[in-house]
Amino acid sequence: MLKNALISLIGTVAVAVGLLVWSISVGQAPLLGLDLQGGVEVVLEPVDTPENLALATQENLDVAVEILRKRVDAIGVAEPDITTQTGGGTNFIIVQLPGIDNQEEAVALVGTTAQLQFRAVLFEESSQQHRSVALELGDYGPEITNGGPNISDLLADPNLLSDPANTPADESAIFLTVADEAGRRSRVLVGPTEFTGSALSGAEAIFRGSWEVEVTFKSGAEGLDLFNESARRCYFPDEQGISRDDSCRWGRLAFVLDGVVESSPRINSPNFDRRQVQITRDFGFPEADARQQALILDFGALPLAFSDPAESGLVNTVSASLGRDSLDAGLLAGAVGLALVALYMIWYYRLLGLAAILSLTLSASLLWVVVSYLSVSRGLALTLAGVVGLIVSIGVSLDSNVIFFEDLKELVRRGDSLSLAVNKAFPTAFGTVFWANLATLIGALILYLLTVGSVKGFALMLAIASVLDLVATYFFMAPFVKFVAGRFGDKPTLFGVRKQRLADGADEVAEVGA
Amino acid sequence: MSAIGRLLRNENNIDFPGLWKRSLTISAVLLLIAVGALLFRGFNLGIEFEGGSSWTVTNTDATGDDIRDALEPLGLDNPRVQQVSNGAWRVRAETNSTAGLNEVSQALADAGGVTTDDVTASAVGASWGSEVTAKARTALIVFFFVLFIYISLRLEWKMAVGALAAVAHDILITVGMYALFQFEVTSATVIAFLTILGYSLYDTLVVFDKIRENERRATGAAAMTYTEVTSFSLNQVIMRSINTTITSVMPVLAVLVVGRFILGAVTLQEFAIALLGGLMVGTYSSLFVATPIVAWLKEREASNVERQVAATKRKADDLDIGAVLDQADRSRKVRSGARGEGHRVTGSSARTVTRPAGQKVTVTKRRNEAGSRSSDAKSAADAADRKPTGEIKPRPRKKKR
Repeated sequence: MLKNALISLIGTVAVAVGLLVWSISVGQAPLLGLDLQGGVEVVLEPVDTPENLALATQENLDVAVEILRKRVDAIGVAEPDITTQTGGGTNFIIVQLPGIDNQEEAVALVGTTAQLQFRAVLFEESSQQHRSVALELGDYGPEITNGGPNISDLLADPNLLSDPANTPADESAIFLTVADEAGRRSRVLVGPTEFTGSALSGAEAIFRGSWEVEVTFKSGAEGLDLFNESARRCYFPDEQGISRDDSCRWGRLAFVLDGVVESSPRINSPNFDRRQVQITRDFGFPEADARQQALILDFGALPLAFSDPAESGLVNTVSASLGRDSLDAGLLAGAVGLALVALYMIWYYRLLGLAAILSLTLSASLLWVVVSYLSVSRGLALTLAGVVGLIVSIGVSLDSNVIFFEDLKELVRRGDSLSLAVNKAFPTAFGTVFWANLATLIGALILYLLTVGSVKGFALMLAIASVLDLVATYFFMAPFVKFVAGRFGDKPTLFGVRKQRLADGADEVAEVGA
Repeated sequence: MSAIGRLLRNENNIDFPGLWKRSLTISAVLLLIAVGALLFRGFNLGIEFEGGSSWTVTNTDATGDDIRDALEPLGLDNPRVQQVSNGAWRVRAETNSTAGLNEVSQALADAGGVTTDDVTASAVGASWGSEVTAKARTALIVFFFVLFIYISLRLEWKMAVGALAAVAHDILITVGMYALFQFEVTSATVIAFLTILGYSLYDTLVVFDKIRENERRATGAAAMTYTEVTSFSLNQVIMRSINTTITSVMPVLAVLVVGRFILGAVTLQEFAIALLGGLMVGTYSSLFVATPIVAWLKEREASNVERQVAATKRKADDLDIGAVLDQADRSRKVRSGARGEGHRVTGSSARTVTRPAGQKVTVTKRRNEAGSRSSDAKSAADAADRKPTGEIKPRPRKKKR
């Protein structure tokens, strides 16, 4: 019995120390939030053209803020600060991200120029079709390109893959790059922009026998009507033939993000309901592709164009928003608070209190490891309030020890020997703690899955804290108590149990043992 | 013996049901105040929620402390001061009646040693989008729904009602505190709510687990009414509740004290006060809101009428509940000894079997300690007599995985 307890103890401590050493040696540390550490700031100014500035209304900026928030959320649980600002007659957006050292990373994350366009596919270049269709298309060339470069010239230039920075925006047909599943790049000729991503209200990857992407449009003239107008022209019943309407000759509509064709699905009906639009692939999407596609459709729809902040010098680092004294106050308070807790526990429960404090230290170091890991991998950032909240949760997690100790003392008072009481009390106490922590865990996971921003990040930390509480209780605290109860069972005062009461029980045990 | 002394020795016998009427009245009043504050005062929403203003000071060598000191007399709520890497300082805050856009601009210009031409002011939109709130609201509804199912499966639906009512009670009172004292609602507030939400639920479930354990034990000779079961259980868990509250509240108190008296970190104050209130209400509601609701629901069950009859009988014998419970447990254990649990028979049970009934130390009358020894012995003997008559149903032992 004692040997098992000792093995569990040593094993748990070894694992915890090992993880901690690993975490520190690979340079992981918790990321501090904007309030404590500062971060990177990206200012997004609308592209300075009259049409675009007209789009820069407060309403559109709010839409853009939501989209930017989704993009940041999609990669993790960082707590960005995204606001619109209005000053000197212009509207702009400021995105602040905690702790990112690399400014390019921040710019890439915010993906400033991303704007989703829907364009009819006029021609797709592929090895088999190249010759014949090119010739055929040649006849249509001038009309299709709306006065843009002659299609034969475009086809004749094999190096002309799209360069979104140089191609004129919406008005003429352009060639864009598309990569197929195998990563081969080819070119697609697309017509003028029919509508933009702002017509969408959302997209989701859904599994119905196979993976597909379900797209929801906004209702009315700003959404579904635009799509149906294109669908009517692109739809052709005979799959082999070519659409009758020259403005969508290939019968397909391309989703163009940042000048790259993300996909160009065939349109299978001239008329759609708002929630009826599905994108499928012949043998089903691979799951990752479906999700990627949904992400692009869902998040890519900035309603207006922003200039590239990297070029206009609008990317800066920012300092912490709280004074250094606030962090110091928080840490000092946390340290004082936990020290008081430790003193109280040891005063009240003696050796048991020591077990609780050691167990707490163990779960706190594991928490450090997990939070550090999530900081690096998911951008989890600790704000001052988050730090305090975690400290409180750590205090609360002592409860799993207190429940056990109270049961234990109760049994000893009723006459059990210490080690017997330990073996009897722990299963019941752990059962209680397990089910109660499971409830907290379920609650925290629900909040984590269904919310965004700071709610999400902290819910995740609560969930982790309750799991670690159980781990530390089961694998460290219980074996530790078992071990010391075995070694010092004859010294009840070490466990904060009244001597005369225990003497009564110890006497009984002796009787039974005899 | 002092009340605290009794608590420390777990010899407390607080009449919880007698307190419930009062506690529920207090809770009702608190809830009324909370709702009233919400309706009539509303929230003091922070800049994250309703936007505010932003000032940028350029061409200055001012330090962060210069800027903060300049803002101090203006009485702005939690101004956010950040330095941008191009050397400018940016301040975000909500203007108030005494400090308008221009006053702040002037103060910042003075602090930076520049003219107001170097200070640009702009309006800031809310960073906490409406979508964030909407999603949080949906999540909260799902939270209540799923946990109702979870608790119903794990315990029973009546306890789910009690537990979730207590959670709602705690959250509402905390929210009410924010409205009443006009604390600024910031993203830190959300963290306070989540902490309280988790704690309140957890604490109630721990109490309920004890009640259910005792409910199973309290059959036969040890029969009690459900209310008695709860009261007995609460007496058992009260020391745990107190200790857990102490350990969770200490860090918060430290934050309050350190923040206020030593370092003057205003940001933490309201957050800590809300946490403190929420944690204490969380413990209180487990004992005084969740439990009475469950007791009230349970007493209406048909099977509990039988318990009441049996309990009347036990009361007539005037036995101490805890002792009778122990006795019932032991007799079960003696019977289950055949199932390989023999090594678990404790010293106490050996005592029960071997000693003459009159010498039992465990079965005592607590209510009238001055009572005569003979009746004491008689009742104990009664209990001992009743034990083997098969009135006690063996409790199926909890299988531990």
